[in-house]
Amino acid sequence: MKKWLKSLVLLAAVAVFVAGCSGGTSGSGDIAQEITINAMSEPPDLDPALATDTTSGWVLDHVFEGLYTKDENGNPVLGAASNAEVSEDGKTYTFTIRDDAKWSDGSNVTAGDFEYAWKRTLNPDTGSSFAFYLYYLKGGEAYNKGEGSVEDVGVTAEDDKTLVVELEAPLGYFDELLTMWSFYPVKQDVVEENEKWSAEAETYVSNGPFKLTKWEHDSEVVIEKSENYWDSDVVKLDKVTYKMVNDATTYYQMFKTDELDLIQTLPSDVIDQEKDSEEYSEVPYFGTYMYMFNVDKEPFTNAKVRKAFNLAVDRETLTTNVTKAGETPAHAFVPEGVETPDGDFREAGGAYFEDDAAEAKKLLEEGMKEEGWTELPEVTLLYNTSENHKKIAEAVQAMYKENLGVDVKLENQEWKTYLDTTKQGNFQMARMGWIGVLVDPVVILDYYLGDSPNNRTNWVNEEYDQLMADAKVEQDPEKRYELLHQAEAVLMEELPFNPIYHYTNNYLTSQDFDNIVYPVNRYPYLKWAEKVSE
Amino acid sequence: MYIVKRLLTMLLTIWVIASLTFLIMKFIPGDPFASDADVLPEEVLQNMRAKYNLDEPIAMQYVLYMKDLVTFDLGYSIQSETRSVNSIIADGAPASALLGLQAMVVALIFGLLLGIVAALNQNKALDYVSMFIAIIGISVPSFILAPLLIKYFAVEWGMLPVASWGTWQHSILPTLALAATPLAVIARFMRSSMLEVTNQNYIKTADAKGLSKSKLVIRHGIRNAILPVISFIGPLFVSLITGTFVIEKIFAIPGIGRYFVDSIFNRDYPVIMGTTIFFSTLLVLTLFIIDISYRYIDPRIKLTSGGE
Repeated sequence: MKKWLKSLVLLAAVAVFVAGCSGGTSGSGDIAQEITINAMSEPPDLDPALATDTTSGWVLDHVFEGLYTKDENGNPVLGAASNAEVSEDGKTYTFTIRDDAKWSDGSNVTAGDFEYAWKRTLNPDTGSSFAFYLYYLKGGEAYNKGEGSVEDVGVTAEDDKTLVVELEAPLGYFDELLTMWSFYPVKQDVVEENEKWSAEAETYVSNGPFKLTKWEHDSEVVIEKSENYWDSDVVKLDKVTYKMVNDATTYYQMFKTDELDLIQTLPSDVIDQEKDSEEYSEVPYFGTYMYMFNVDKEPFTNAKVRKAFNLAVDRETLTTNVTKAGETPAHAFVPEGVETPDGDFREAGGAYFEDDAAEAKKLLEEGMKEEGWTELPEVTLLYNTSENHKKIAEAVQAMYKENLGVDVKLENQEWKTYLDTTKQGNFQMARMGWIGVLVDPVVILDYYLGDSPNNRTNWVNEEYDQLMADAKVEQDPEKRYELLHQAEAVLMEELPFNPIYHYTNNYLTSQDFDNIVYPVNRYPYLKWAEKVSE
Repeated sequence: MYIVKRLLTMLLTIWVIASLTFLIMKFIPGDPFASDADVLPEEVLQNMRAKYNLDEPIAMQYVLYMKDLVTFDLGYSIQSETRSVNSIIADGAPASALLGLQAMVVALIFGLLLGIVAALNQNKALDYVSMFIAIIGISVPSFILAPLLIKYFAVEWGMLPVASWGTWQHSILPTLALAATPLAVIARFMRSSMLEVTNQNYIKTADAKGLSKSKLVIRHGIRNAILPVISFIGPLFVSLITGTFVIEKIFAIPGIGRYFVDSIFNRDYPVIMGTTIFFSTLLVLTLFIIDISYRYIDPRIKLTSGGE
């Protein structure tokens, strides 16, 4: 399973290298540098302060640029800033904004634009759902919660080019964090003039490789190369069109008739059909599909029973025969994709258990003995209504029947009702998925913190919370990852959840294009993409 | 007088629909701000609720909403915070309306034609062929027909684009897919209505008087037979021009069809209200226009409040 990942990374690296060698001179003069891709649905918000979803993020990442941006390999590198200096204690950052950083209207990007943007996101009146990502800033949380004042927020423009950022505590992955859209600048006078500036292309101003030129709601978003972007030489595409085709059969057929050059989220019959095609690719996605256990509800009050329910799932069979999109069986929480000094975080941490029906049966019996149960309390598995979740739940149900001799009942609810139910803790075992917006183990492991609003399992573990808190302030990367490994080990020992698989994204990409980058936590990035044949 | 009274009833109807929808909507469990990434601190959540008046008691929310409604302000979407419900409807309605109108025209022309041809050739080959087409139209749902149309016309023969919107070519396949069922229903309706009329005494009289066949059919037959069809096409017309979820999804049409469905799944209260009011207003208006049009098609119907 790991082999294809490696070869993929290698392939990307080679592609990038080859592109670097041929740079600029490659004769693509006659080919119209345009690509049409599928966003699947209308991006709900193209305002960096308000966007919370990957579709909006897909457009935002192309039209904006933060202080840091990503390179071809997904590593954070300086973007709108030309220099970053960190203080001794790791709490104060001084950024110098590039002299040639420009807005799409030609004006200069200033440090003040960043200060304004971040404070705007934190302003409780903005109602930003992602404001909590800025809580790392000194005074950010207090201001957002209406307890502090805007003057005390740790971001200040000393002059047009110098931005001083103060953090509550040192943060090991601050550069990665700064690549997120919540940290993009917005142009102060544009926003102040028109609160709804981001609703239409006419009033939209951004600072990235592309600029928004057309937004026909529910139909298409068009972005074009921005001549004012400081690094516009590396941008080859003149025009990117995002279509909003939601029906899987339709967008597959549009790909087949060349109306679309790139599609994702392929239905399983298409995957079967296209698996061997050159246009097909599988990219790990930084997320985990799982079942949460409510540790306050029998029988999942017992750790051995929880473990038994983990071991009784045959994940290999499930991913190869049921989900079929190249997902990786999950025997831990953090997916692959995080580069650490010891290699990939997942590879270094390894698998925490093996699927083992016999062991599962034994554990279940032991657990029942511990609790004095002669019969296991009835278990209902809850999931939100969807064909896909149903298929998986049914397979898991069959495995429990066969491997544990337990009859699990299935129940499904419509999404928003489901969120209510699980939030109130009215479940024993319930489906959930978690995808990291940032590629760092913290983003994943935070999910099960005792005070995390996402943690619906009622599982609270002081050791876990402490290890996570320590990891966050640890400056030395090696020690930091070590603490995170320890935290994950605690979680995997207690197993308040049942990880099923790590997600994968499937793409069909026209062979006419080169240098498309497929990040593990985002949709494909087209900054360096180039059309090489018609 | 009749018209004034009707207009008042219309307003009352819309108000009742809006109020009921408001009430029912508030009873659906779930929170518009809930998601699997439950990250909003209570303080921010309260702020956002306040933005949409959701922090008020339901009765107060209702009063506030009705107050805005009177000034045609439908508020802002919760899902897309920067877009007003008015602009969502204004952006989506033209595409839905255009598609619906085209489908309506196709369905009417061919439906009536099929129905009339079938009736005039009762129990002959043409009748069977027409009704066979009609039965297919009724029994094949649009979500089957649409992919079939795409498969042949767009993928296999490459005559038309698969989906999306913009040129007139883009609108052909969705129009056909959307028109099929109403076409079939109209054809069957027209056939039976026509058969009924042709058995009436006045047709026999006119026939006996030696009126030409074409005059008989057009003047006396169709004109009388079309009445029941008209009362049925009113609601049909409204449902066609306000967009259909399935067809718009399959053909990626930027209409408002999806908002009727998605807004409920998202608990996007302002959009649920906005689309419902938009739809019911159109429906009530169309019914009104149809009532009036009866008067001109059938002089026997009088526009008096006490009558029919």
